[in-house]
Amino acid sequence: MIPVIEVKNLSKWYGNVLGLSDVTLQIEPGITGLLGPNGAGKSTFLKLITGQLKPKIGTVYIKGQKVKNNYPLFREIGYCPEQDSFYEELTGMEFLLKLLSLFPFTPSEAKDRAEQALEIVELTKEKDRVIKAYSRGMRQRIKFAQAIAHDPEILVLDEPLSGLDPLGRRRLISLIKEYRKKGKTIIVSSHILPEIEAMTKTIILIHQGKVFAQGDIHYIRDLIDTHPHIIAVKCDKPRLLAEKFIHEDYVLNVKFNPAEESLLVETNNRDEFFSLLPALFTENKIEVKEITSPDDNLQAVFDYLVGK
Amino acid sequence: MSLKNKKSGAFYFDSIRKSFSFFFFFGKKVNRTKVFILISFLPVVIALIIKCIQYFNKNYWLEDISVFSNIIVFFYLQFLILILALFFGSSVCSEETEGKTLTYLTTRPVHKSALILGKYAAYTLLIILMVNIGVILSFAILNISHLLDFSRYKILFRDMGVLTLGLICYTSFFTFIGTFLKKSILFGLIFSFGWENIIQYFPGSTQRFTIVHYLKSLLPQPARGRFSFLLFRLEPSSTGTAIVMLLLIALIFLGIACLVFSQKEYILED
Repeated sequence: MIPVIEVKNLSKWYGNVLGLSDVTLQIEPGITGLLGPNGAGKSTFLKLITGQLKPKIGTVYIKGQKVKNNYPLFREIGYCPEQDSFYEELTGMEFLLKLLSLFPFTPSEAKDRAEQALEIVELTKEKDRVIKAYSRGMRQRIKFAQAIAHDPEILVLDEPLSGLDPLGRRRLISLIKEYRKKGKTIIVSSHILPEIEAMTKTIILIHQGKVFAQGDIHYIRDLIDTHPHIIAVKCDKPRLLAEKFIHEDYVLNVKFNPAEESLLVETNNRDEFFSLLPALFTENKIEVKEITSPDDNLQAVFDYLVGK
Repeated sequence: MSLKNKKSGAFYFDSIRKSFSFFFFFGKKVNRTKVFILISFLPVVIALIIKCIQYFNKNYWLEDISVFSNIIVFFYLQFLILILALFFGSSVCSEETEGKTLTYLTTRPVHKSALILGKYAAYTLLIILMVNIGVILSFAILNISHLLDFSRYKILFRDMGVLTLGLICYTSFFTFIGTFLKKSILFGLIFSFGWENIIQYFPGSTQRFTIVHYLKSLLPQPARGRFSFLLFRLEPSSTGTAIVMLLLIALIFLGIACLVFSQKEYILED
């Protein structure tokens, strides 16, 4: 069976800067998460498979056809770019209608599709407002709407959740999941693991232009779980809290930051650490101001995994 | 012609039509167009002022048609069409790359060069309309008492034709510059008010390296009179040569613009 997306030995560089290096993979229907820190090559990969960039080496196939200069094939692809850029003077409806007019649809068909897409992203009421008056969340949704309006088989979403508030994120994640139910192929990029986890279990890990791992998210989760995490707890009694933690086997290191009244705890078992934390707070009447994880980002995880 | 070629030809022209329709609509809505409409109506205001002065001061007299011709040459030909072509022509590509909206276009089933051709045609038509409406109004105001003198309309249509040709040619050139250079406006200003304004007066065939030379060749030449000894003067080409050259320049630069836009990878930087 022909894979929906197939790339062979794909490489791309910009002058001396490496974008992507010798990537070979196949993508099947469903949601695939493209995970990697900023500058890993995610956007380059997405632009290559959507035909916006030409590979220096290698080939991209969509449904067995070469993408390069295959303009009719673009009917099958919906692309939601990362950047927050629009034809600001157009209304939401005009933006969709005009972009749909570049497809072989009749005007009435284009209007129906635009209205349908606006309904899906819950922007029907705001369809006649100019985009420059839209909120960040509305802008993300109209961007998503232009990608789905022509009902493509393949949906490519570059950091679609960036800049959204928690409610907006949840809304968009459920929209993306809805699309999966229709049997479409969706590729979502992000540098935040929980965002991808909320949508799919199939991931591609990309780092420094190379595909580092591909497959089930549990595999990477297991790797990450053994990664020592640093957790900062800002509270009124950091030394008391440290005393309670120091006996636990999974606590590897404890440091104080007197200026900020905070405690830095290094642990190799985050789950155990967090399950103990609430009880310690209540039993010892510790007032918590903030809990953060300074290295809870993909870059730290990748650095750890690559080093390993 | 094979069926496949016919099909791809039809697809290509359909892509141009779609791109034209998109950007003609968009061009009408952007604030830049509104500003330039106001600027292009400045000669109309000037014509109104002249007419008012003539009305209130009977001693002040100027031949209406000569005032009109002067407005055409000085304001439209030497300034307005250059500015309009520069801002609209260079924006054909640069507003997509600088505004990072290019991805919306290049992920549609439309040939890249068709996008450029359609957008060029849309913006050129917009500025042709802008200029010619201003010209017609200026003409009507200045010749209000001679509107039934049909011989004067010959001058109007000739001037409109020259300005239209100028817009087609300059916009094509600046479209090419926009696809090619990042700082196209700066280069365009140097070209418009440096090269075009200076080289057109160079003696011999050097002046033929300007677009304005061919445009001025299509207009009647002022009498040399006592300045005939000057070296710095227009040595016009024939009407036929001028028209062919203008169309050729437009075609060549538009062709190169399409080629550059189709081949070049525009990196949309954050």
